[in-house]
Amino acid sequence: MNTPLNSSSVSRPPGLISRLGNFIDRTFQYWTIAPLVITLLLLMAYPSLQLLRMSVSEVDIVKGHAVWEFVGLKHLETALQDPVVPVALRNTLVFVIAVVIIETLLALTISILVSRSHHLVGLYRTVLLIPLLVPPIAIGTMWRLMYDYNYGFINQALAVFGIPGPTWTADPKLAMPSIILVDLWHWTSFMFLIILAGLESLPQELNEAARVDGATESQIFRYITLPLLRPTLVTAVMLRTIFAFKVFDEIFLLTGGGPGTATEVISLYIYDVFSGQFRLGYASFLALGLAVIISVFVIFYRRLGRRTQI
Amino acid sequence: MNLHFVKKTQRSLFPILSLLIAFSFLLAACGPGTTTEAPAPTAAPTEATAPTTTEAPKPLPPITILINESPWLAGFEALVNKYVEETGNQVTLNRTPFNGMLEKSRNAVQASESEFDILTLNEQWYMQFYADGLVTPIKDIDPNFQLDPQVIEYEWATRWDPELGYSSQDGELYGVPINGNIMLYFYRKDLFDAQGLAAPQTWADVEAAAQKLKSADMAGYVVRANPPNWEFQAFLASYGGSVIKLDEQTGEWEVTFNSPEALEALNTWLKLGREYGPANYADNGQAEMIALMASGKVAQMVLVGASAPDFDNPEKSTVIGKVAAVPVPGSAPGMNATMSGIWVMGIPHNLPDERKQAALAFLNWALSKEAQLFYAQSGAIPVRQDVYEEMADDPKVGWWMKAMADSTPFIHAQPRLAETPQIIEVLDRRLKQALISEVTPEQALSEGAREIHKILTDAGYKVKPLAE
Repeated sequence: MNTPLNSSSVSRPPGLISRLGNFIDRTFQYWTIAPLVITLLLLMAYPSLQLLRMSVSEVDIVKGHAVWEFVGLKHLETALQDPVVPVALRNTLVFVIAVVIIETLLALTISILVSRSHHLVGLYRTVLLIPLLVPPIAIGTMWRLMYDYNYGFINQALAVFGIPGPTWTADPKLAMPSIILVDLWHWTSFMFLIILAGLESLPQELNEAARVDGATESQIFRYITLPLLRPTLVTAVMLRTIFAFKVFDEIFLLTGGGPGTATEVISLYIYDVFSGQFRLGYASFLALGLAVIISVFVIFYRRLGRRTQI
Repeated sequence: MNLHFVKKTQRSLFPILSLLIAFSFLLAACGPGTTTEAPAPTAAPTEATAPTTTEAPKPLPPITILINESPWLAGFEALVNKYVEETGNQVTLNRTPFNGMLEKSRNAVQASESEFDILTLNEQWYMQFYADGLVTPIKDIDPNFQLDPQVIEYEWATRWDPELGYSSQDGELYGVPINGNIMLYFYRKDLFDAQGLAAPQTWADVEAAAQKLKSADMAGYVVRANPPNWEFQAFLASYGGSVIKLDEQTGEWEVTFNSPEALEALNTWLKLGREYGPANYADNGQAEMIALMASGKVAQMVLVGASAPDFDNPEKSTVIGKVAAVPVPGSAPGMNATMSGIWVMGIPHNLPDERKQAALAFLNWALSKEAQLFYAQSGAIPVRQDVYEEMADDPKVGWWMKAMADSTPFIHAQPRLAETPQIIEVLDRRLKQALISEVTPEQALSEGAREIHKILTDAGYKVKPLAE
């Protein structure tokens, strides 16, 4: 119902000071976070834009000065004709898919076992954390020594049982599996930590109620634990995928991309183009391409995460 | 709050973020990398200071040398100590692992003034520093400088011809050699003697010896697979082939990596590696090869001369006194070929004149016969022919110093263009593929040749059409 307004009830327009005060009140949150946002943007956007700029340029250092030449999409043309790029992309995808799937399954299994264990949980957690604490350079060196055909621990151990050891990193069929094995040793604990944290945060009441209703343990896992754990799993898989796409140290130290091109991955090739061949523009283009591929995976995982929220 | 507030915040932040991104674009566009032209060279040729006879020489400014951590570092340190002792000039060494050398060198020449007075540049990348003017031509520092003819120039690794874009004999002097690494052929003399075998002169001799000496515990030969290009290029040169060839009359380049000589060389290299090598023949780098020889697991191999002291080191070797060295064999007697894998020293462009003078004074002194003899006796690899010849009689190192002296006429160089790192990447990849039978030898050579042809064409060289 409308009520007539009398002149005394009509408020006068606020003054300038009052409006300014209102404006500050309304936007106060933005002013407080503005310095941080500006700093972050400068830190993130500027290097990214430089990378973008380099990826469409030829950059040379002459007499200590960078000489830039805009080349448009020339690097795309080079990449399409570069015989290493498809091989490196294929190997990278094989590596990523293998390590992400195997590490997720392994970590999930170990996490469930540890979460159900009532003893020595701290010890398990500490022991499983060790590979994550070792610097990648040490891991590469350690496994290189272990895989050595002549002097390596693995072949010497096999020799004790009369089994001739294979050439782990020299055989094109074994080189990638050997790298993947090292990666499993290194990164499964990362996935384990995230999944275990997710498992431990799940409410136990639902499980207990399901048990009262007669559900079996596998039914509880299938219909309660797994759906509740999905957001955690998606996050863990997404992070691991990003890291796996950028794999470098292990392959650089163990095989250098060989034998042949059996373990050549895109990060290793970018390093060679950038540092060995000093083709800054082309290396930037490849790096940007890798970032785009990773972004596609991230978008996919984010959508998957949203769809699976309950 | 919360959803409404968040949405409102996102809406309000959008224009602010857009502005900031635009601002970042502006910054990127105005950054220091916007130079589009190289500035005109500022270092004018400087006159050499005439020595005065009445005054005692003034001590030169202290210098800093970027030097790689390698087996010959101890010898170089001894040389530097001797220089300091003799002249009173101060020298600081910046010791850096191999993998950091290129980055440090590049950073130094991009600074307003280099932190190093002398850069130690590897065979694989010195060309970029010469081609881009990042080191000073020696005659710009001292117009009267002459390299002693006894100093080996390793197929002109010291020089650069800007017109050809290549290290040629007529090029200007940009650097001086400081480590004379070349390949030698090492073999187990005790085993050869026991079988009545003479030191091989040809690859056929090598194969015959490999056949006789290979056993379950002993590889007949081992190829260097990581990286393979260097050793293979010696095979290639020994068959009269090369990766690329310059026609100095027309200035045209020809890609010859797919020549019949290259195929012969590759087949020989693959046969020796696969049939007579250890089971992991596709996985051996220099360190593994040294370990194989030092532990008595291989009968013969081609390796850098600098590895010789390892076979006499009682802490590493079980074959002391049993290894001998001769020049790398050839496809036929007299067709021997060894590859240069040297280090040169250059003086950065971005130094004041007096620092350049001090750096050159050290290099001049270090190349003298007396200094080089001391250098060799200290365990390093000298760069003078007369020193090798004199050291050939040395009871301790004479066995391989003589081989070094005898190898000088057979020294060959890898392609020495600014694009060499790209060419090397192709060689390594294609040779590795051939070694593990990922491709046939013919495919490796023809595909490699096509890629090298494209590299040269794209870089603007005049290149002859590729022979199929």
